[in-house]
Amino acid sequence: MKFRELRLKGQLAMSFDSEPMDAAFDRRQFIRASAMAAAAAVAGITGPALPILGDESLTGVNWEKAPCRFCGTGCHVQVGVQGGKVVAVAGDRNAEVNKGLLCVKGYHVGAALYGKDRLRKPLLRDGNSYREISWETAISTIADRIQAAPDRFAFYGSGQWTIPEGYAVQKFMKGGLSNNHIDPNARLCMASAVTGFLATYGVDEPAGCYDDLDACDVLIMWGNNPAEMHPVLFSRVIDRRSRGENVLLIDIGTRRTRTTEACQHYLEMKGHGDLAIANGIAHLLIKNGTWSRKFVDQFCSFKAPDDANPNLHGKAITFEDYKALLEPYTPEHVEALSGVSADKIRMLADLFGNPSLKITSLWCMGMNQHTRGTAINSMVHGIHLLSGHFGSPGNAPTSLTGQPSACGTVREVGTLSHALPGGMVVTDAQNRAKAEELWRLPPGRIQETPGHHTVKMWESFCTPTDKGGDISTIWVQVTNPGQTLPNLNKLFNPKGDNKAGLEDKFLIVSDVYPTATTRLADLILPSAMWVEKNGMVGNSERRTQQWFRMVDPPGEARDDCWQTIAVARELFNRGVEGMKDRDGQFLFDIKNGDGAPVPIWEWEHYYDTNVDEHLFEEYRQFTRFKHKDLAPYGEYVKARGLRWPVVESDGQWQETRFRFAEGFDPYVAEGKEIQFYHSSTHDDRAQIWFHPWIAPAELPDNDYPFMLSTGRVLEHWHTGSMTRRIPELSRAMPGAYAEMHPDDAAVYRLRNADRIRVESRRGSLIIPVWIDGRGKPPKGTLFIPFFDETLLVNDLTLDAVDPFSKQPDYKKAAVRISKVPS
Amino acid sequence: MIASLVVTLDRCHSDLHRTMDEIASLPGVEVPGPEGLQYRIPILIDSSCPDVLEERTRQLQQIPGVAFVDVVFVHFEDESGEIPGAPSERPTCHEL
Ligand code: SF4
Repeated sequence: MKFRELRLKGQLAMSFDSEPMDAAFDRRQFIRASAMAAAAAVAGITGPALPILGDESLTGVNWEKAPCRFCGTGCHVQVGVQGGKVVAVAGDRNAEVNKGLLCVKGYHVGAALYGKDRLRKPLLRDGNSYREISWETAISTIADRIQAAPDRFAFYGSGQWTIPEGYAVQKFMKGGLSNNHIDPNARLCMASAVTGFLATYGVDEPAGCYDDLDACDVLIMWGNNPAEMHPVLFSRVIDRRSRGENVLLIDIGTRRTRTTEACQHYLEMKGHGDLAIANGIAHLLIKNGTWSRKFVDQFCSFKAPDDANPNLHGKAITFEDYKALLEPYTPEHVEALSGVSADKIRMLADLFGNPSLKITSLWCMGMNQHTRGTAINSMVHGIHLLSGHFGSPGNAPTSLTGQPSACGTVREVGTLSHALPGGMVVTDAQNRAKAEELWRLPPGRIQETPGHHTVKMWESFCTPTDKGGDISTIWVQVTNPGQTLPNLNKLFNPKGDNKAGLEDKFLIVSDVYPTATTRLADLILPSAMWVEKNGMVGNSERRTQQWFRMVDPPGEARDDCWQTIAVARELFNRGVEGMKDRDGQFLFDIKNGDGAPVPIWEWEHYYDTNVDEHLFEEYRQFTRFKHKDLAPYGEYVKARGLRWPVVESDGQWQETRFRFAEGFDPYVAEGKEIQFYHSSTHDDRAQIWFHPWIAPAELPDNDYPFMLSTGRVLEHWHTGSMTRRIPELSRAMPGAYAEMHPDDAAVYRLRNADRIRVESRRGSLIIPVWIDGRGKPPKGTLFIPFFDETLLVNDLTLDAVDPFSKQPDYKKAAVRISKVPS
Repeated sequence: MIASLVVTLDRCHSDLHRTMDEIASLPGVEVPGPEGLQYRIPILIDSSCPDVLEERTRQLQQIPGVAFVDVVFVHFEDESGEIPGAPSERPTCHEL
């Protein structure tokens, strides 16, 4: 196979051909050749294979597959290991998600393992310092806290829990301790997407998938900046344009971003303007007669909020009611509410009114971190349904997630305070009975009252016990609430205040690095991360992915899942009834091929068997209840992920690209065309919702005249606890800043890098300004990213939540600024 | 550090040959030999300084006619030592 010549500033550098490699071929040149061949293959210049990556004999590097550790896109990487260390990373060309590409974070994912301050030993607070303790003491300390007050114990996790990790905690809490106080940080990022799907389809998660990005004619991004947050997905669309395809990109947002630069239309809206825009589109579709009567008549019903009895499923209304409720949302009225011109509203309505176009909507935090998050999620689904832009490739309303397993672990395993695995809920007696049966628990073990959601959990933890704070111990795994919770001065920082009356509260944190959360921890447990352990995750497009442990964790760091099981076993040994199933067996009993128990609670035996596989195979049984079927573990070992429902057909495990659509979804009955088989109205129909425009929970006023929005940046992943330890990324984006409009800067006589004090009603922060920076906020607004643990913007944010999802709004807080003299 | 990237060009840009020349003129950046205009360009960056990759990626992104830059491969075994920790004005657990 002839590769091609390379030009190094005009000079020939090397050439590759199909003849056997010269034994003396320089190793560095070989790596260069591999790198170039990989890029050439991805660019479509060479053949489809990357044989060089697998040739360990030539490089000494062993390559294995794993999903990227960072965002919810779920790119697959090839991980190169040599001498027990990750030494190289390549995009996995065999992965459908990323087709060989990685973003700036993804290719540094290996370096995230090797920050010099990795936690290596369990640490117990001793006054104002910490002392190293043994794992035995750490496990025993946790068991003591739980035994002393089992109902005051809470577990706080994340969408970075692997599926088996989250499943183990779910079973430990709800099935073992009869305690529903388990919630994840995903409450802060995609809970409103969940309630939007439930309110619309009666079941969670997107019907479409990333293939829609390859097929759509129009891509509308609602408060979404995929060029920085999901760059590989965005690149997939840009690539279509580079091949001459016509794709119309529309950015509806509150500030210009890198995404805006690639879009043909930018619709700048005020906070909560999206509610008005969605209503404006629906209003025009009906007024112009361009809504899809066929789709609506066959597959949809209408809903509105039930103000007398507020609940997720609202009240049924007729089409005429819906039409009347939309009547005020003329383009001009929508312009007044949203700031987007009436002409642009008409343009959007015309696009949705054109049945020959294929339209995909994407959203993420902009619509989810919103005190009307459930409403706007439902409304965007609604305009797709009303216009019939649903159920065929390229026609999809699709929410994206920010974490690698927000879908797989949080939404599917159900590590939320109200949920059970497989889309079931604790409030449903039949659901509880099914879970008790699969977990072999005595009837009645699982409690029916939901536990505390995230904001309530931390509020309770930061409230003195004698004043009603009913959570006294929280165990945090794989997340950093000391940086990500809103209104930190209320929900987290009191833990560090000696006068707050919280002496009896105890914070346990399992993590890989010191963070803004560990600084207030009483017990710190060093964890293994990414390819230091086995894992499975589920990305934004229902794709479940698997990898094997490739290197050892540093020092005494251990798997989070082992930590949970070890505590469960300690409680079992102490005779705690909840740690036994109905036959008196340990909840996490695993037997080897000879039927002998494997003592997985002892670290030295944890990898005697594949604990992930055992837990996954048990969990898999839950997934059939709501048609979210997963394949056997071994299928994921072979694949670069499979999208559920994965159903066996003719001896093959088949994934599903488009749910609810005949010909794609195996659960749609023949002849139905579209079937919403989990409809909340039990008639196979989805719900088209009306919600009114409602102002944000906090608006600028004379005292606090700016609107503050927070968010992420390309170089750092979320709180930066991993990416800020990668020198290249840290240098590329060293610290947080406040983006502001040049006109506002002129009023305050500010120049780039001047420091300002930003104050809200909840806290203040001194931070440099960036005028005309990467993002361009409109006048009267500020943007501050949250990746910087030294500049915690969440000291300022608001803890008001959506009434149904209980997700806070990080995008709209009123603040004032003043110049800090240099 | 050895890395390879794919640069996606904006097909509608008026002077993509100039875009290509600007890409090829970046120090340490290797591009394929001329074989007619491609819209997806594989690029190699080979540098003893790990920062170069970020810097070149940023520079590439700013060249008129470049629509997107993706990374495909990175080999970083030549970096010595461990990665320094993040700077923090707040005390971490070790500093308390
Ligand atoms: S887009 Fe997300 S999953 Fe893909 S490489 Fe970047 S951080 Fe990793």
